[in-house]
Amino acid sequence: MFDQPPAAARTNPERSFAEEVRSLRLGAGEVFRGEGVLAVTKALLQSGVAYVGGYQGAPMSHLVDVLVESQDLLDELGVHLETCTNEAAAAALLGASINYPIRGCVTWKSIVGTNVAADALSNLASPGVIGGALIVVGEDYGEGASIIQERAHAYALKSSVWLMDPRPNLPTIVHCVEKAFELSEATNTPVMMELRIRACHVSGSFVAKDNVAPAISRNARLAEPVPQDYGRISHPPSTYIQEKLKVDVRQPAAQRFIVEQGLNELLPGEREDLGIIVQGGIANVLLRGLDRLGLGDAFGAVQVPTLVLNVTHPLVPDQITDFCAGKRAVLVVEEGAPDYLEQAIGALLRKKDIGTRLHGKDVLPMAGEYTAEVVTEGLLKFFAQTANDIDLSRPMQALEQARAGRAEAQRLIGAPLPLRPPGFCTGCPERPVFSAIKLLEREVGKVHISSDIGCHSFATLAPFNLGNSILGYGMSLAAAAAVAPVMQKRTISVMGDGGFWHNGLLSGVSSAMFNRGDRVLVVMQNGYTSATGAQFLPSSAGNRRDGNNTSDIAVTLRAMGVRWLRTIRTYNVSTMLGTLREAMTTKEPGLKVIVADGECQLARQRRIRPLLAAALKRGERVVRTRYGVDDAVCTGDHSCIRLSGCPSLTIKASPDPLRDDPVAQVVNSCVGCGLCGEVADAAVLCPSFYKAEIVQNPTWWDRLMTRLRSAVIGRLQGREPAADVR
Amino acid sequence: MTPDRPVTILIAALGGDGGGVLCDWIVEAAHHAGLPAQATQIPGVAQRTGATTYYVEVLPTARARLGERAPVLALNPAMGEVDVLLASELVEAGRMIFNGWVTPDRTTLISSSHRVFAIGERVAMGDGRFDVGRLLRAVKERSKAQILFDMDQAAEEAGSVLNAVLLGALAGCGRVPIPDQAFEAAIRAAGKSVDANLAGFAFGRAHARGELEQAVRAHQKRQAQARGVEDLIGRARQALPLAAHDIVEEGVRRLADYQDRAYAARYLDRLDAVWSAENKAGGDGALLRETARHLAVRMSFEDVIRVAQVKVSAERFARVHAEVRAKAGEPLVITEHFKPGIEEICAVLPPALARRIMAWAERSGRLGKWYWSMHVRTSTVSGFLRLWLLSKLRWWRPRTWRFAEEQAQIERWLQQIRHAAALSLPLAREIAECARLIKGYGDTHKRGSHNFARIEAAVIAPALAGTMAAPLAVDAIASARVAALADPEGESLARTLAEIAQRTQEVPRAAE
Repeated sequence: MFDQPPAAARTNPERSFAEEVRSLRLGAGEVFRGEGVLAVTKALLQSGVAYVGGYQGAPMSHLVDVLVESQDLLDELGVHLETCTNEAAAAALLGASINYPIRGCVTWKSIVGTNVAADALSNLASPGVIGGALIVVGEDYGEGASIIQERAHAYALKSSVWLMDPRPNLPTIVHCVEKAFELSEATNTPVMMELRIRACHVSGSFVAKDNVAPAISRNARLAEPVPQDYGRISHPPSTYIQEKLKVDVRQPAAQRFIVEQGLNELLPGEREDLGIIVQGGIANVLLRGLDRLGLGDAFGAVQVPTLVLNVTHPLVPDQITDFCAGKRAVLVVEEGAPDYLEQAIGALLRKKDIGTRLHGKDVLPMAGEYTAEVVTEGLLKFFAQTANDIDLSRPMQALEQARAGRAEAQRLIGAPLPLRPPGFCTGCPERPVFSAIKLLEREVGKVHISSDIGCHSFATLAPFNLGNSILGYGMSLAAAAAVAPVMQKRTISVMGDGGFWHNGLLSGVSSAMFNRGDRVLVVMQNGYTSATGAQFLPSSAGNRRDGNNTSDIAVTLRAMGVRWLRTIRTYNVSTMLGTLREAMTTKEPGLKVIVADGECQLARQRRIRPLLAAALKRGERVVRTRYGVDDAVCTGDHSCIRLSGCPSLTIKASPDPLRDDPVAQVVNSCVGCGLCGEVADAAVLCPSFYKAEIVQNPTWWDRLMTRLRSAVIGRLQGREPAADVR
Repeated sequence: MTPDRPVTILIAALGGDGGGVLCDWIVEAAHHAGLPAQATQIPGVAQRTGATTYYVEVLPTARARLGERAPVLALNPAMGEVDVLLASELVEAGRMIFNGWVTPDRTTLISSSHRVFAIGERVAMGDGRFDVGRLLRAVKERSKAQILFDMDQAAEEAGSVLNAVLLGALAGCGRVPIPDQAFEAAIRAAGKSVDANLAGFAFGRAHARGELEQAVRAHQKRQAQARGVEDLIGRARQALPLAAHDIVEEGVRRLADYQDRAYAARYLDRLDAVWSAENKAGGDGALLRETARHLAVRMSFEDVIRVAQVKVSAERFARVHAEVRAKAGEPLVITEHFKPGIEEICAVLPPALARRIMAWAERSGRLGKWYWSMHVRTSTVSGFLRLWLLSKLRWWRPRTWRFAEEQAQIERWLQQIRHAAALSLPLAREIAECARLIKGYGDTHKRGSHNFARIEAAVIAPALAGTMAAPLAVDAIASARVAALADPEGESLARTLAEIAQRTQEVPRAAE
């Protein structure tokens, strides 16, 4: 009913970045227009990188995605692109710059990606690099973040990696990327650049330069490796020397470079008695805040001298103390906890015996995003405590008025608005698995569900509310290792194919096999890392380099020694339920794995829509399938929605004047996956679901049969009186 | 607008609404107009259904006049500083108001008035829809100007997409310093579905400028079609109070269509008895109206004959055609999903036989286990005939086990209502309302009936027996009914009934 190719034959979802690819080819003097992430990508090519790599994750996915589509350009320049299978691999990729004078850049989502990369990162930072090494992290912090809230800053501090946090406009971002490579080479140290979500997606323009082909590259290979230098190996005794080099040589070099190149910006202002030190990434919020208080303007001029730190590690002690000296008070605007900058600045002032009062987290909150409201309030408090000659009554009143207005709005609306958490897409192949788990729980009772990172984590939200913990990407099986032994029923771990290849195979499967874990693992095999925008993974069909298939999950599991293994097409809820039941109850000991197979529906739609349109245009017979609900049969209990949650299965006012409860309806976005029918069947719900197959470009046979059928059916319906009145 | 102050636009959309494209259009249009602009977004994850926000600032001063100066545009909106709010859905507009972004001194609110129901609203067992009445008041009071119409419908009628209509409304609202041609140039520059997007844009702009009115699609409640019952309706009008007429007439038509005239007459007989009890207690017909509504639904309970009746009707075929948007001349194959179990089959057997089979099925553990999955193609002659023949079994229905069971339960319920009416009219109404719990098929029906029985035993029976005070019982039934619809597992109901039990025990103690 829902034809889809087997996993090994699914083709590229064909997202098009043609426009983006064109902007990467811009030459000197041409104006680049686009968003932040793409500007970074262009800046890399302008800086002569020899290799780029990374692991996808919002808000950085776009960087590698666009490069994947730019293979021609990369081949011309000789740039190697590695689509890494996790962030540790990406960090290790930078190892090329330890021994060779080649520039490289990797990217990932932070904090999670930085955590995964941490080991390689330490081992990279210790010997240091001779070719510029840049790590661009998407700092997923604040509104819209999808992960734990921690700062990448800690890694820069502990590994002695320099951290850039540029002002969120394209010229500064591009300039910082270029300077980052120089800084890295001048100091033999990898440089990390953090970009927050809004900065990654900010639109803007800059004047492009020509792309630079690296001197050593795929196109210009080295005859032989460099002679071994034990000093570049992160083993003792080298590590003792490396640690000293970090603090005695590299850090002072970095501080010199920062000052000489003017990486941090000093915005002068007439109020010399006060000062503000701000991270570059939130400079715009601060500058608009000063404007709001009448202490600045729309073009970034300020009355209070402001030091914008486009490099937040290392700090330059003289720069800080020179800035603070002679001022009555300085405010540090630093987002997130802990307050690394404020502590460091405080220590600097104390050591130099500078009496300037230091404010920061006392007037600004320790945790949470520094939004306009938060920063405005912080500034008001700071000036109220330090400069009573500044008249703040007007902005103070405006803030209070806005807050009172918000309270009034909330009072008017009365009740909290319905939440709109992310959920599975229409036709998602993962949803049926959770429908089956819900039905399973009706039989066996509640089960401990160990969840993972990926689209399937949405099952922890309504309507499924399934999942007891998330311990990281690919960690769900490992996270059940100590739960299973204390549980009468087996545990179910759910993992995507993305998580499987990222970490789950080793951290989860091999460990479970090794320890004879008696658990159930469901691997969602949809063919891509879908949550991050359908990137290829080792089990995707048609590798981007040569079109051949690479690795197969089931074959890999067998090779790992997994004996109880089933591959199930997810849309068949009854079969999925039966398989889960068997996995939960079989006498077979050890790990039981269900590979739940179904192509990502977003990818599928992207793939088939143009094909269908073309077939229709050619006049070929095309059958469009969708589902519907008979509103006269539906009684408005919505069990079907509780078991499915499909966005196209929604509600409408009941057409029955005698009933108040809204009835279910299938809206036009339905892709005909058939889950609602399957669920109605498996859960024995109600007979209101129907499947409709609309035959487009019908053949003469279709038309003849339809005419015959309509004639008979029409006569029977015609004879049927509206009411049998006796 | 001051030349140095950027015009700020906040956009609230749902994943899949094309908020990103809308943003690109605005930035591109500003570029065409020679104005500095900046946009950024919180796109959420790649998935649909989540809320997404976008923020755009446009400086009304031409780039050419700025020279070397570049504005520092913000990436975050600020409370009290939003000039235009664009929302692709009503509750999303509400969310922006709730969060303080919309202010009466400054913000023009542009929103589609249609609803996309959130998951919490959809999963409710009864009616979980957010009440937009108060929201609409907040829209009026908390914004400076409002442009509110059904952009979903407008997009559909213009053969376009919602974000193009929103863009048109933005152009038409007169708050952004970008000329129409620049917007149109932006749509053309994007190069995708240009004509459709321009049509949507033109519609949105014209609507915002008050140049055209949208024809409001009324939600028509369908009425049962039954002829030849005029005399019964006449009888109802004579005997029953005006307040209940519309409901009773619908009930009469429904039941004549469902079964026959005699059955409709029986409906009226039953209502007569309820009215006489209410009348005696000094009621104004409110109890009768509620009872009439529920009684018609209960008497037209869903069995396989009823389902077949609905599925084979000509009107239903036309409705499916329209709903799935099959064009004229496109053949349509309709497949019905049925899965009757032992209980559904017994439902149409004579009571004695049915009871014996049910007892056997229960004993042998087959009840609730044995089902027959059937996929019937009603668009084929053979499939249609199967259901058509089933629908013809209407004459047999009064002889079935389910019919007997339903009538007995209905009688019991009516008896309780009449009895309660003598004690307290509010109590009688609460009992009548409890019929709302009984609906659906299979497990849903079983759960509803079971919940009804639990409330009956815990509250209704003691109230009628006089061991629970009527006002207490009225509250108790109302809260128990809400609890019964709170979760399918029945946990809320169990909790509520336990609380009620505790409260009733406290009353005599308090009296001591």
